[in-house]
Amino acid sequence: MTIIDDFKFLKKHGFAPLPYALARSEKEVVEAGKRIGYPLVLKVVSPEIIHKTDVGGVIIGIKNRKALRAAYNEIMENTRGKKVDGVLVQKKARKGIELIIGGKKDEQFGHLVVIGLGGIYVEVFRDISARICPISREDVKAMIMELKSHPIIMGTRGRRAIHIKSLEDLVLRICRFMERENVSEMDLNPVIFNENGYDIIDVRFRRAGK
Amino acid sequence: MREQVKNLKYIFQPKSVAIIGASGTPTKVGAVVLRNLVEGKFSGRIYPINPKYKTLARFKCYPSVLDVKGKIDCVIIAVPAPVVPKVLEQCGKKKIKGVVVLSGGFSEVGNVELEKQLKRIADKYKMGLIGPNCLGVLNPYKRVDSIFLPMYKLKRPRPGGISFVTQSGATGTCVVDLAAQFGVGVSKFISYGNGTVIDENDLLEFLENDKKTEQILLYLEGTKNGSRLLETMKKVNRKKPIVVLKAGRSERASKAAFSHTGNLAGNYLAYEAAFRQAGVVVAYSLDELFEFVKIFKQALPKGKRIGVVTNGGGLGVLTADVIEEKHLALAEFSEKTKKELKKIIPTYANAENPLDIIADADSALYRKALDIMERAAEVDIIIVIVLFQAPAVDERILNILIELSDKKKKPVAVIAVGGEYTEGHRKILESYGVPTYSSPSDAVKAVKKLVDYAGWADLKR
Repeated sequence: MTIIDDFKFLKKHGFAPLPYALARSEKEVVEAGKRIGYPLVLKVVSPEIIHKTDVGGVIIGIKNRKALRAAYNEIMENTRGKKVDGVLVQKKARKGIELIIGGKKDEQFGHLVVIGLGGIYVEVFRDISARICPISREDVKAMIMELKSHPIIMGTRGRRAIHIKSLEDLVLRICRFMERENVSEMDLNPVIFNENGYDIIDVRFRRAGK
Repeated sequence: MREQVKNLKYIFQPKSVAIIGASGTPTKVGAVVLRNLVEGKFSGRIYPINPKYKTLARFKCYPSVLDVKGKIDCVIIAVPAPVVPKVLEQCGKKKIKGVVVLSGGFSEVGNVELEKQLKRIADKYKMGLIGPNCLGVLNPYKRVDSIFLPMYKLKRPRPGGISFVTQSGATGTCVVDLAAQFGVGVSKFISYGNGTVIDENDLLEFLENDKKTEQILLYLEGTKNGSRLLETMKKVNRKKPIVVLKAGRSERASKAAFSHTGNLAGNYLAYEAAFRQAGVVVAYSLDELFEFVKIFKQALPKGKRIGVVTNGGGLGVLTADVIEEKHLALAEFSEKTKKELKKIIPTYANAENPLDIIADADSALYRKALDIMERAAEVDIIIVIVLFQAPAVDERILNILIELSDKKKKPVAVIAVGGEYTEGHRKILESYGVPTYSSPSDAVKAVKKLVDYAGWADLKR
């Protein structure tokens, strides 16, 4: 399973990740860039590379065609010797707070949905809250309040609150989706939230029987 | 409730009990159980069963239950595991509906088939069967006692409103001992062992309908059916508050690594989520289990605003700190309240919250201050700090606190910090059902649980 398959699966079920394309050559990268529109982010797609950033497989803030070509070649150079399926050309996300939304199927309780502070903070703070599916909107509200970082979500020090309703909607949809498709494990990480809405940047799946 | 769960009444209110494996060797389980029933003054009929004896402890001893002429409501089985199916079958034929299997040696040591056999027999005869591999049960109201530990080593608690359900016999032992020690009144104690026929869900439902049970303590290591546990807890918790202690939390640290690269969450996260959804109170230690449960005898608060009355300023401040830490609130006294307070407190005291009525306050002043707290609409919860060490405080304060707590208008928690003299007073208050704590943090933590529960109950109304 590559990131492209995961994105396709997500889209098929009505979720809208940030516009993306898989490109296998410099020519394809440029075409994709034109179609999606700048600024862009490039990420290597490889079954052999788990931590893409560590090997120089991610370049962000690409503003034009020239920079895009350079970025593509740089990634190819950095990942030489590895099995590479191509690069993911993705629209740059809006600014905001990185959250993680995911879940798994628990042997005893069935599907569990989890939200938390995402990005690099996941490991550090382990600021997460969980519920057993199905859940109500009230449950999602309680989940948000349980997070230690909820003041950040609710807006603090001149920063506006994120669009709470869209977070609630997304969590409720993820819950229904996991149950319907019997997803054994998934996470959207990060999803960037701000006062206008959210951008799904990355996704991982492990499906039952796979 | 299915019939087998209903039949648990034969275990808790039996008119007659048979002990299969009763013995004359004092250290044998069957001997201890027989002795406990006799010493515990069980008033029903007792039938020791063991082909090796003619009589035991002045009772006639029978080769099997089928040899007993009279009706048997409950049987306690304490024979080696391989023999259990055979004697259980006899119990079935004798139409015994309540069974406690103390014997171990089933699925917990890999004898899965033997345990299945036991379940098949129990289901066939519609028996309410507790165990196997359990410590036994208690019903102090009816002096029913199948715990196989001697009474001189393990004291039995007095009758009361709290029921304990425990998966572990060892934890159960500690809980029974501590309950007796702390003067906690118990309705039912149930160690359910492997939970083969009757599991934690059945027991929660049974206790939901048990008139003597007001609160439930649940010690859980794992469940075979999480979804059902969640639904059962939700339902029962609405009627009777459940405090749960879940073992196996350390998994959380290792498996809860909620990361991009793999393992989303450990199993404990699922339990924790379920507990939150069910609104049950989670304790993290045996101490907390007892600290939390005692406050649930109080009325449910309408909000989280606390009025603190103290005869020691420092403890008031310490309490205020924990209140803030736990996201509860110190009540903002209204002008009316302040005016009333000023009439009763010394001129050098402040009509502020925490209300310090000063070290020379006597019991009468406590009463007046507490009356005002009771009337004040802005106060949802009353915390009373008593420095029993102060000269003017005497025994009369105990009655005042007991009356206040008994009214059940607003929840009350008492903080009494100190040594032997204070400890004595604390115990008296406890025995009258006044939740009394030996530190501000213990008290406020418990209050927080009560506030959370009240909020949950309100949400689900």
